Amino acid sequence: MARVEFHNVVKRFGDVEAIRDMNLTIEDGEFVALLGPSGCGKSTSLFMLAGIYLPSSGELLFDDRVVNEVEAKDRNIGIVFQSYALYPHMTVRDNVLFPLRFKRIPREEALGRVRAAADLVQVEELLDRRPSELSGGQQQRVALARALVKEPQLLLLDEPLSNLDATLRLTMRTEIKSLQKKLRVTTILVTHDQVEATTMADRIICMRGGRIEQIGTPDDLYHRPDSLFIAGFIGSPPINLIRGQARDGAVHVGPVAFPFEGLPGAVTVGLRPEHLKFAVSGLKGRIGQMEPMGREILYVVETDVGYVRVLEHGSLAVHAAGEPVNIGFSPDESLVFETASERLIAAARVCPPA
Amino acid sequence: MASINELMTERRGHAGSAVRRRTNFGIFLGPAIALTVLFFVIPVIIDIAVSFTDLDRTLRVSKFTTEQYQKVFQGDRRLPQVIGLTFIYVFSTLAIFNVTFGLVLALTTTSLNDMSGGFFRGVWLLPRMSPSVLYILLWLWVVNPSDVGLLNQFLIQVLGLTKPLDLMTTAPVALVIIANGFIGASMGMIIFTAAIRGIPEHLLHAAEVDGAGTLAKIRFVTLPALRWPISFVTIYQTLSLLVSFEYILLLTKGGPFYDTTVYALYVYRHAFASGQYGYGAALALFLIVIGIAVALLGWRFFDLGRLLQRPRIEVH
Amino acid sequence: MAAPATFTGIDTRLATPADWDRLAARARSLRRAKAVALYAFLIAVSLPIILPYFWLLTIAFSTKTGVADTLVLWRSLAVLALAVIAFWLAAMLAQTRRQMWVGVTAIALAATIVFARLVGPDLHLRNFIFLVEPDFASIVRSRAGEVRGAVQFPSVWRAFGNSTLIAGAQTVIVLTVAPLAAYYLSRFQFPARAAMLRSLLVLHAFPVLTLIVPMFLMLYWIGLLDTLAGVILVLVAFELPFAIFIMKGFFDAVPWDIEMSALTDGASRRQAFLRVVLPQVRNGLLAIAVFTFIRGWEEYIFVFTFLIRNTNWTMSLYMYYVRDDVMGVDYGVVSAVGVFYLVPSLILYLAAQRYLMQMSIGGVKG
Repeated sequence: MARVEFHNVVKRFGDVEAIRDMNLTIEDGEFVALLGPSGCGKSTSLFMLAGIYLPSSGELLFDDRVVNEVEAKDRNIGIVFQSYALYPHMTVRDNVLFPLRFKRIPREEALGRVRAAADLVQVEELLDRRPSELSGGQQQRVALARALVKEPQLLLLDEPLSNLDATLRLTMRTEIKSLQKKLRVTTILVTHDQVEATTMADRIICMRGGRIEQIGTPDDLYHRPDSLFIAGFIGSPPINLIRGQARDGAVHVGPVAFPFEGLPGAVTVGLRPEHLKFAVSGLKGRIGQMEPMGREILYVVETDVGYVRVLEHGSLAVHAAGEPVNIGFSPDESLVFETASERLIAAARVCPPA
Repeated sequence: MASINELMTERRGHAGSAVRRRTNFGIFLGPAIALTVLFFVIPVIIDIAVSFTDLDRTLRVSKFTTEQYQKVFQGDRRLPQVIGLTFIYVFSTLAIFNVTFGLVLALTTTSLNDMSGGFFRGVWLLPRMSPSVLYILLWLWVVNPSDVGLLNQFLIQVLGLTKPLDLMTTAPVALVIIANGFIGASMGMIIFTAAIRGIPEHLLHAAEVDGAGTLAKIRFVTLPALRWPISFVTIYQTLSLLVSFEYILLLTKGGPFYDTTVYALYVYRHAFASGQYGYGAALALFLIVIGIAVALLGWRFFDLGRLLQRPRIEVH
Repeated sequence: MAAPATFTGIDTRLATPADWDRLAARARSLRRAKAVALYAFLIAVSLPIILPYFWLLTIAFSTKTGVADTLVLWRSLAVLALAVIAFWLAAMLAQTRRQMWVGVTAIALAATIVFARLVGPDLHLRNFIFLVEPDFASIVRSRAGEVRGAVQFPSVWRAFGNSTLIAGAQTVIVLTVAPLAAYYLSRFQFPARAAMLRSLLVLHAFPVLTLIVPMFLMLYWIGLLDTLAGVILVLVAFELPFAIFIMKGFFDAVPWDIEMSALTDGASRRQAFLRVVLPQVRNGLLAIAVFTFIRGWEEYIFVFTFLIRNTNWTMSLYMYYVRDDVMGVDYGVVSAVGVFYLVPSLILYLAAQRYLMQMSIGGVKG
C-alpha cells in the first residue's frame, strides 16, 4: 500500500541546507515519529512527502516508484497541519467534504463518507458549525477527519498536539494511536515532544540539523541511545551526564568506580534520575532544590561533579533542602559515552534484548 | 499606584485649566478646521446657493430662481444621454478593468517569483505614477489617426490592416474606458496583492494536498479571502470614476460633440466652457450628494472601534 | 440510506503504482506550460504600457527631423529583450552565485556594446533645446518652415520653479497642519471627538472634484483667483483629510508609555508632542511629505481652471501647451519635455514606494 522511502534526499533553501542526505524506509502500516528540536528539518521532510516542497536532489519513493515530481494533489495523502488550516469560510461538513470534490464521487456517497469520518473522530454534532466557532481540540479533530475522509495511503501529522492544553493532549494521544491501529494507515508524526513520540510511535526517527541521528523503537532510544544528544533528548526528566575517567579497567566518576572493559580515556556517564536513589554511599552531595510532582519528587543535588537530578517515587519528602546525601546507582543501569566523540560505548546492561 | 491622570492633577493642582485646554484646541486643531470649513463646507453652501440663481458668464446675480432645477428635470435634452453614458462608462471601467483586471493582475503576478511579479506590477503602476498630462500625451500618440500612431503601426504591419484607424472618432467611448481602465487596474492590483499575500500559506498547502489544482485553489481559498477587498475596491472606485473627468478632458475634451462627456465633465463644460455657473452648480449638487452618500457607505469598511479608541491621558 | 462507509484504507479508484510515472510526467509538463502561459499573458498585456513609455524615451533622445520614427525603438527593444532573455537563462543555468554574477556582468557588457554600435550613433540631445532656449517653439517651427505659433512660451525653468513652489508650499503647509490635527485627534479627549473622527472618514473619501465650480466662484469673490496662493490653498485643503487620516494612524501606533513618562518628567503636553512623540512618527511625516509633493507636482485640473491668464506657468501647463502647439511639428521636443516632466515624478515615487503598501491598507477591515 504505502511503503515510503527517502534515498539520499537533500533539500536546500537558497544557500541553507535544511535536509542533508536523508536515507529512510518506512514500512506500510507503521506509525513513526520524526522527533527533534525545532529547525532540525522534520517538518521539511513531511512537506516533501506531501508534495509541498520539491527535493533539491535525491529520490522519494512510494512503493518503489519515484514520486518527486508528482503533484501534491495526485498523491492521495492526508495531512494535519499544526495550525489545522481549516477553510475559514466553510462549515465543518464542507471542510471535510472538500477532498472528495476532486475524486468524482457521487454526492450521496461523499456525504456518507463525511459522516463516517466525523463519527470516527467524534465531531458528528459539529458538522454545521464554522471553524471560528470551534475550540482548539475540536478544530484538530475536524482537521483529522478531513485528512482521513479520502482514505489516504499516508497520514502526515505536523505537531498536532502542540497547540492543545495538557489534558486534551493526553486524550488525543490515545485517540490518534487507536485510530491508527484501527485503520492501519502508514502514519508519520512530527513532534519536538519526546513523550509524544515515545508513547505514540512504533519507531522513532530522531533528527538534528537536517540529519537523522538515530532510528529505533522507543525502547531502543531509551536504553541504547547512540549519542549524548539522543540520551539527553529522550527521557523526562532529562538524564544526568557526568564527566568521568576510564582507566585501569574501571570508570571513575567522583568517588565511585565501577568495572569497565573499554579503552582508557575521558568518558561521560549517563545516569537517569529515575535509576538513582539516596543511599549510604555513592556520589556525595547536598540537596539544592526540590520539585514535588504529585506522585514523585525531583531533587536537584549539588555534588562535586555538578548538579545531579534524582527522582524519588512517593509523595512525601523524606529529605530537606541543604541536607547532605549520598547518591547510589547500579552500574548496570548506567550508560557510558566517549566524551570526545559523544558516542555510546557501553549500553545499560539491564535492558531487554535488542 | 496612582494613574498618570491623578499624578498630573496632583502636580498641577488641576487637570488642565480651561484656558490651556482652549489654546491647545486652537493650536492643534484650529488651522485644520479653518481650512476644512473654508474649502469643504463653504463651497457646498455656495453651491447650493448658486444653484438657485441665474449666475452666468457675467458673474453677476440678478435673481433667485429655481429655473436651473427645472432645466435639470425637464429642459435639458442632452442630460439623459450624458447620464446614460456615465453609467456605461463607470460600470464598464469598473467591471472590466478596476476589479476584474486588477484581480487577474494580482493573481498572475503573485504566482511568479517576487522579482518578476514585482517587475510587472511596477509596469502597471507606471500610468498611475505619471502625471496625467503625460499619460494622455502617450495615449494620443498611440491612437494617432495617421500611420505614425503606434496602434496603427501595429495593426498595419503586424495584422495587415490596409487603412489606419481613428479611434477618437470611431470608438471614443471605448478609448476613454481603456485609458481610464489602465489607471484603475493598478489600484485594485495593489490592494488585492496585499490581501493575497495575507492568506496563510498552510491554507493553500492544505488545499493542494486535498486535491485542489490551480483553479480550484483560486476558487476555494483565494477568492473567499478577497471578499472584503473586492467590495472595498468596488465602492471606492465607483465613487472615484463617477466624479473624475480629468483624463477624459485631456484625451477627447468630451467629444466628439458630447459623445464622451460624462456627468462630471458635463458640469465642468457648462460652468467653464459655456459660463453657465448656475446650471453647473445645480448639476454639481447631485454629484455632491451622491459623493457624501457613498463616502458614508465607506464607513462600513473601517474598523471604527480602532479609529475611535479613547485617549489614555486626560490632562493638558 | 447508503451503507455506512468503512475505512479499510483501500480505494480502488486511487492511483495504482503504475500510474506514478504518468502522474509525474504530466505534472512536469503542466508546470512548464503554466509558467509559459503566465509569462506570455503578462508580457502581452504589459506591452501596451511598456512600448509607449519606451518610445517616449527613444524619441526624446534620437529623432532628428521631428518625426516620430520607430527605428530606434525597435532596435533598442530588440537589444533589451535579448539581454533580458540572456539574464534569465544565466540565472537558470548558473550553479553558484558567483557563476551567475559573472554571467550577468558579461551579458550586461555585451549588451552595452551592441547597443552602442547599433543605436548609439542615433542618439543626441538636440531635442532638449527647450532647456536652454525659451523661444524654442519659433525655432522649431521655422526649422520646419511653419508660421509662428500662437503661444508665447516662458522659460521651462520658470514653469519648473512654479511647480516646485506650488508643490513645496503645499507640502510645507500640510506637514505643519496635518500632524497637529492628527495628534490632537489621536491623543486628546474632547466633546466633539467622535463626531470629528467620523467626518474625517467622510472627508477623506470625499470626491473633491465635485466642488470645482463653487471653489472657482469662491476664489473669485475672495480675490484669489488666478493666483498661485489660491491654487496652493485649494490643494492643501483637499490633501488635508488624507494626510490627517494617515498621520493619525501613525500617532495611534505610538505607545502611550513614552508620552506618560515625558509627562511625569515634567513636560507639558505640547512639549511632549514636540520632543517625544513627533520623532516617533518620522516615517509618517516622510510619507505624507512625498505624496503631497507628488500630488502638487502632477496637479493639472485645478491649475488649469484657476489660473486663467497663463502668467504663472506650471510644468503641467507647460507640457500641455507644448503638446498642443508643437506636436504636429516636432515630436522630438515634445517627448524631451515629456521625459523632463516625468523623471522627477518617477524618482519621487520610487523613493516613496516603501510607504505605499503600509498606507493603502491601514485600518481597512478584513
